[in-house]
Amino acid sequence: MRAHIVWTVLRREWIETLRNRLLVSTIIVPPVVLTIAPILLGAFVDERALPPELAAQVLAQRPEWAAFTAGELAGAFAVQQFLVFFLLMPAYIPLSIATFSIIGEKLARTLEPVLAAPIRTVELLAGKSVAALVPGVLAGWATYAAFVVLASLVYGPALFGVVTDGSWLAGVFVLGPAVGLSSVVAGVLVSARVNDPRVAQQIGGVIIIPIVGLVLIQATGTLLVGPTGYTILAVIIGVVSLLGLRAGVQLFDRETILTRWR
Amino acid sequence: MTTDPDRTLHAIGLGRRFDDRWAIRDVSLDVRRGEVLGLLGPNGAGKTTTVRMLTALIEPTEGTATVDGFDVRAQADAVRSRVGILTETPGLYDKLSARANLDFFGRLYGLTAAERARAIERWLRQFGLWDRRDDIAGTFSKGMRQKLAIARALLHEPAVVFLDEPTAALDPEAAFVVRDAVEQLRRAGRTIVLATHNLDEADRLCDRIAFVRGGLLRVDSPSGLRESLGQPRLIVRLAPAGLAVPEPAMTALGAIPGVDAVKPGDQGLEVIAADPAAVAPEVVRALVAGGVDVVEVTVARTSLEDIYFQVMGARPSSDGEVA
Repeated sequence: MRAHIVWTVLRREWIETLRNRLLVSTIIVPPVVLTIAPILLGAFVDERALPPELAAQVLAQRPEWAAFTAGELAGAFAVQQFLVFFLLMPAYIPLSIATFSIIGEKLARTLEPVLAAPIRTVELLAGKSVAALVPGVLAGWATYAAFVVLASLVYGPALFGVVTDGSWLAGVFVLGPAVGLSSVVAGVLVSARVNDPRVAQQIGGVIIIPIVGLVLIQATGTLLVGPTGYTILAVIIGVVSLLGLRAGVQLFDRETILTRWR
Repeated sequence: MTTDPDRTLHAIGLGRRFDDRWAIRDVSLDVRRGEVLGLLGPNGAGKTTTVRMLTALIEPTEGTATVDGFDVRAQADAVRSRVGILTETPGLYDKLSARANLDFFGRLYGLTAAERARAIERWLRQFGLWDRRDDIAGTFSKGMRQKLAIARALLHEPAVVFLDEPTAALDPEAAFVVRDAVEQLRRAGRTIVLATHNLDEADRLCDRIAFVRGGLLRVDSPSGLRESLGQPRLIVRLAPAGLAVPEPAMTALGAIPGVDAVKPGDQGLEVIAADPAAVAPEVVRALVAGGVDVVEVTVARTSLEDIYFQVMGARPSSDGEVA
């Protein structure tokens, strides 16, 4: 695989992405909302204590929060629910970019001249995949960084500690990219079969369902996943994604694209 | 490498099957350097499949082919770097400028920054697009888009340029612009394979024409085709049009040396002769002597359409039935 060819594809993908207003708004708006919403929610509950039963349950699961004031405990509980939303960004942004990119090329019939050039299909796939993955992962990280800064400024060191503990770091920096990779793979596989980016996103969105499930489990306090859990989950998702990528390479075969993609 | 340096493209028994259906079989042909070869045939005849095999986009099921000495199967990357292709649709990136479109492909073909800059300016100037170089391709007219796609195919100085239906779906004005661009390449001595179902285009632009329908039915120059398949004749317009020529005049025409046959035409007569110009004066004299008024006499050039239907073996009637 030649890096300069992958970079050429990636560079063009990004230029086109930046000129697609719909796609850009899809990338920018949700991270902004996700940065601000937890802070607002935290502010809303700041001076309100959790119901005693819930507070006891939270402290049983998080004994390290025992020193918090009632307001800090409520704020910590509120922002904690948002960790999993930071995983949704690396999931849906790459999915949007990958589906727009591949289906867009199918509809505009721009792939044939590209495939007529001395480019290997694996280089084309790599360029497209990285171009889709990186903005999602970076958006997740940037949003998280902004969130940490805002949370620290607004609530002080107590909540800073909450949003930078091992669970958050593993979730954002290990599980996030793995989820992004799985999202790209889903985008590639689905886009090879359908001709409408919205349909592809809906089908590809099925991969987000387990993450939503995780949100609900966290919110109800049934299960709190720690750093080890996130890392194991990342490894599983990564392995499954790599297997999916192998299938994706088959679908990105030159002849398949030219003769089967409709 | 090929032994004949003048032969750019060489195919023997090339064929491609999709599932259990052969798209094309037994394609054997040579294209000389600087030659324009037309692949002429109806939709679904196998022209695009042939182009795709020769540009190493798809593998042949049978047979072999070399382009500039490189095997389309074993040296596909080398073939791809030596051919340029205009696909059925321009396939441009609409959100990129004309220059950015070409730059992207220049990079894929491994051109250096200086080579890209030079080639982009050269071809955009040649096709009259230089002033629009920074406009996004999505704002271009169909003719301009097609010219930009041709420029893209030429950027890396390919040994052979494949143009697949370059004027299909274009209005007459845009088609004229594109034909003019192809004519420029022809004059510059480019080796071109032109797949088309436009008879006039093939007639005007090609040195040789290959009739395609599931295979190569016949390959020859337009003049060679006319010589071997055309029927030279005089078209005689009479006054009034549709006049029935008296029997003695018909007999006199038939007796003229060199006249093979005389038959009624749309506005008068058709006189079949090996050398129509040579018999024309005698034909006019015989008709005037027979009391028939002659308005115009023209030597008819056999149309490629006539030859096309002779080679293809069927001509649809006006109601769409194949005769």
